[in-house]
This record gives sequence, C-alpha cells and structure tokens, in this order.
Amino acid sequence: MATEYETFVRDRSRILSGREVVLTLRDLSPGRKKYRGVNVRAVVSRPPQSGEPVLWIRSVVGLKDSKPCSVRIIEELPEAFAAEPYSDFFDVMEKAERR
Amino acid sequence: MAHKDFRGFLAAIESSGDLVTINDEVDWDQELSGIGRLGCERNGPAFLFTNIKDYGSRIRVAANPIATWRRVAVALNLPADTPLRRLYQVYAEREDKAIPPILVNDGACKDVIIPGDKVDLFDLPVPMVHEGDGGRYLGTWDLVVSKDAKSDWVNWGMYRFMVHNERLLTGYPRPTSHLGKMLLEGYVPQGRPMPIAIVIGADLPSHIAAAATFRMSGNEADLAGGLGERPVELIKCETSDLYVPASAEMVIEAEIYPDRVAQEGPYGEYPGYRSGEMGNAICARVTAITHRRDPILTLDTTGFMDSSATTTSISGAIAIKRRLERHDVPVVEVYVPPEGGVHLAVVSVRRGGAEVAQKVVEVLTARRALMSKIIIVDEDVDVFNMAAVIHAFATKCHPDRGTHITRYEGRANALTPAYSLEERIARSGATVAFDATWPPQWPAETTPIRATLDSMYAPDVQRRVLQRWKTLGL
Repeated sequence: MATEYETFVRDRSRILSGREVVLTLRDLSPGRKKYRGVNVRAVVSRPPQSGEPVLWIRSVVGLKDSKPCSVRIIEELPEAFAAEPYSDFFDVMEKAERR
Repeated sequence: MAHKDFRGFLAAIESSGDLVTINDEVDWDQELSGIGRLGCERNGPAFLFTNIKDYGSRIRVAANPIATWRRVAVALNLPADTPLRRLYQVYAEREDKAIPPILVNDGACKDVIIPGDKVDLFDLPVPMVHEGDGGRYLGTWDLVVSKDAKSDWVNWGMYRFMVHNERLLTGYPRPTSHLGKMLLEGYVPQGRPMPIAIVIGADLPSHIAAAATFRMSGNEADLAGGLGERPVELIKCETSDLYVPASAEMVIEAEIYPDRVAQEGPYGEYPGYRSGEMGNAICARVTAITHRRDPILTLDTTGFMDSSATTTSISGAIAIKRRLERHDVPVVEVYVPPEGGVHLAVVSVRRGGAEVAQKVVEVLTARRALMSKIIIVDEDVDVFNMAAVIHAFATKCHPDRGTHITRYEGRANALTPAYSLEERIARSGATVAFDATWPPQWPAETTPIRATLDSMYAPDVQRRVLQRWKTLGL
C-alpha cells in the first residue's frame, strides 16, 4: 500500500462525511507507477489519522486542497465500474457505494 | 511529397532549425511537458527528449510537432517560411485531391509486438503533462482508428487517453465526436466492445488528417494521402481488423468497454484551461502494443497555442467556409486564429448585414457547436490580419444590433471555460456572431469611409506613396 494518494471530487462533503465512500485514488509513490489509479471503498479523515496514508483532495479542475486528509482503505474494487460510456462518473461511484 | 514517416519529419525540422534535442535527463513528471508548454507559449521549437528519468534512453519523447506555422509548412513539405494564406490554400487544394491508402504486409510499427497479457503501460515514459491533471496522458498527439459497426466507415480522430493502470486507459473523445457517435450508436446498444487503435508517431499528414475537422463518414486516410501527396501505407492490427499507418512509432490496440467506466480527467485542454469536464468518459482495455525499435512517443503539451491549434485552425476554417458556401452564405475567406483556442472564427463576406450574420451563426451551430464567437467582416478586411479584424470589430460592430446569439442544449463544447460547471455537464451553451459589416441597406453616400491608405487616398497618391516607401528602403 502507498503512503500518499490523491483523489478528485465534485462534492467534498460526501468524501468528508466520515462514512464509507467509493473513490478512485491516484498513487503518489515516486517512480514509474506514480499516478496509477485504484478504485477503493474507504473512509476519509480530516485531520489525518496517524498510521493512515495521506490523501490530498483535488477539485474537478484539479485544484489541490491546502490541508491533507488520510484514507483508510477497506477494500480494493474492480478497475472499472458497471455503467454505460459517458455516464456521470461521480453518480456511478455514489451508486457503487449503495451496493 | 511529405515525409514518409515521423522520423523523416523530425530530420526535416531539425534542418530548418525548428527542433531542439535535449540529451540531459528530464523528469517525465511535469518537467518535460513544462519545457514543451513554454515552447508553445513562446512560439518556440519542437523538442526531442532522449533521456527520461526512471526510463533512460530506450524510448524518446518528441513534443509539439507542429505547434508553429513553420512546422506545419514543413509537415506539408513546403518551405518553413511559407505565408499563412498560402498554407491555407495548399491545404484546401490537397484536401480536394484525396489519395487512397495502400495495404502492406510489413511495417516498422511491427518491429516489436507485446501481447495484451504482457502489456504494462507504466513501461512507457508517459508524461504527466500538467500539475493537477487526473493522470498521465498517453494520447495527446495521436491518431485513433475506429470502425463503424453498421458500415465500412473508418474514422481517424485525435482524442485524449489517460493511463489508469497497467492495461486500462480512459479517454475523452466527446460523445458528439465521430468516435463517440460510432460507440454510442453502434456498439453500446449491442453490448459489444469497440476495437480501437491508438497510433503514436505516424507520418505528419496522417495526424493532421486525424485532427482535422472533416465530414461525417469521410475517410481521413484518403485525406492524409492527399495532404501528403502520397498514399499512406496501412497494416492490419494484431488483435482487430483495423488498419494503421505502417510506419508509426507505436500502436496501442484496445477495446472500449460498452458497459464500464473509470475516472478520466481533468486535463488541461486545447482551449488553454482545465475546465473540469471530467467524469463523463470511456474506458478501454489494451489488447496489444506494437512498436518500432527504439520508439519515439509524441506529446502535444496541450493548452494555449498547442499543435492542435494550428491543425484545427486550417482544417476548421476550410470546413467552415465549405459549410457556409453550401448554405449560400456569400463567404469570401475564413480564418480561425490559433490564439482563440478553436473558439473564435473570422468570416469575411461579400455582402454582410443582420440576415447574413444570423444565418452564419445558425449554420455553424446546427450539429455540434465548437465555436462560441464568430466575427463577420466585409471582404475588404483581411481575415489573416488580426489588427485589421480587431479594428473592424471594435468600430463597425453595433453593440446592440450587431450581436446575434443562438443558444443550444446537449451539443455545446464541454471544454468551453466560459460555461458554468452545470452548463459544461449538460453541454448547454451559446454562440454569438459579431456583425462587423456595414448594413447593406445603408446608402453609400452616408456609409463611413475607412481612413487607411488603401481607402481614403487617391489611387495615384497611393501609388506614389508606395513607390516612395520602397525608395526609402522601408
């Protein structure tokens, strides 16, 4: 598991609610695989919890939050979500949360 | 004839002084593309990076192949200093002389074949183009081949693709693009994966044809042959029936899922902004990679004045002119200034006025609406001279009567920064035509006369002034 990730969100309140959410994380570990994507079910904390990987939140235009979070990964999900091409990806992730 | 392959083009722009090779180590994570970005913003050269951090020298990266008019000229096998109006003319002439491709059995793009189960996209030095992008973009200056499910139509387009993991790519060919229509109308309803081939580093005319604004069901391979004045050699893919340029540096064969999505974007795009258009994309699983020995990846450091800006400037302008002619608009010339990020067109007409302006904006937004601003000028304004265009716009466009706005839903450009996030998601937008022509009903005796040498001086005075100008060595 990496020690630092980032994720892109449309609605921060969903991510920071303290409940389990579905996210795509980008691994920020240096080296060839930096920015590799992984879909997860996880809990995000702000302020960051010690012992958990750091998570940086970015907006839909890529603006990075100034304060970090941490992420506790509960399970890794398949690399893609069931939905038609061009579906709203944020809606798809929310639906995946409810399963 | 244009250069047969990408390496021939690189040699040509090196000879013309338009390529800089960087042998020092450069980081694929923003630094490489930062150099490329500055090159675009300063009208600089193309770059060839030969030593990339974490990857060494096995795979090189070439950035910004034709981000200047000089390099566009070389790509079309013309002198680098060919005037812009002449470039437009040559492109239009060659567009009319399509040359079909020929099929071959051997090609350099098959030097190395990597089957799908051995593919790892992280073995490629794919750049992180901008800080804050959603991921690393492999497809920036590419050529994506796809085939219609219901006919023989083969489409070449230039679409962005991002690395998600070792074998999964996500991409954003707009749903209104030719590929998007093929996918949504032909493959998704049947639940069939759609084969594609992402071609990197083909001959330049092939990429120009892929990026071109071209008619639906048109064959870009024929267009590429016309533009290059030689047939493109095509070779069959390993895992599908698609054909790709045989001389390409690399071909990534993949299948677009009809029923799955993954995160794509955001990405700093050709209008010069990262607009937050993420989250409405497609995903594709790589089925094979083939490439030349010591391949060269390509990068368009997307943003203000990138390589797609010049390409779409020419092809977009010609497509607009042809469409307006088909609708009986008295169009003379069209220019799409690359500084406008494919959002601005300048149209000169023999006879202007409100009716013509309204017609122009309606014709140009009927199917998909990429241009959001159109300046219409009289034919005595040189559309390639932006100083003259701005003068006409600032002085002749009536602030009230001169603006003609049309609004539309579902077909607006989701990349237009001026739209709100909600408008971008709904693809809801508008286009405005600025009528900078004299109203045709105005009598000549009261229509203002432009105070320029060619309009407000007697012909014999103009002649003498120009003669004197020459003798003064000015």
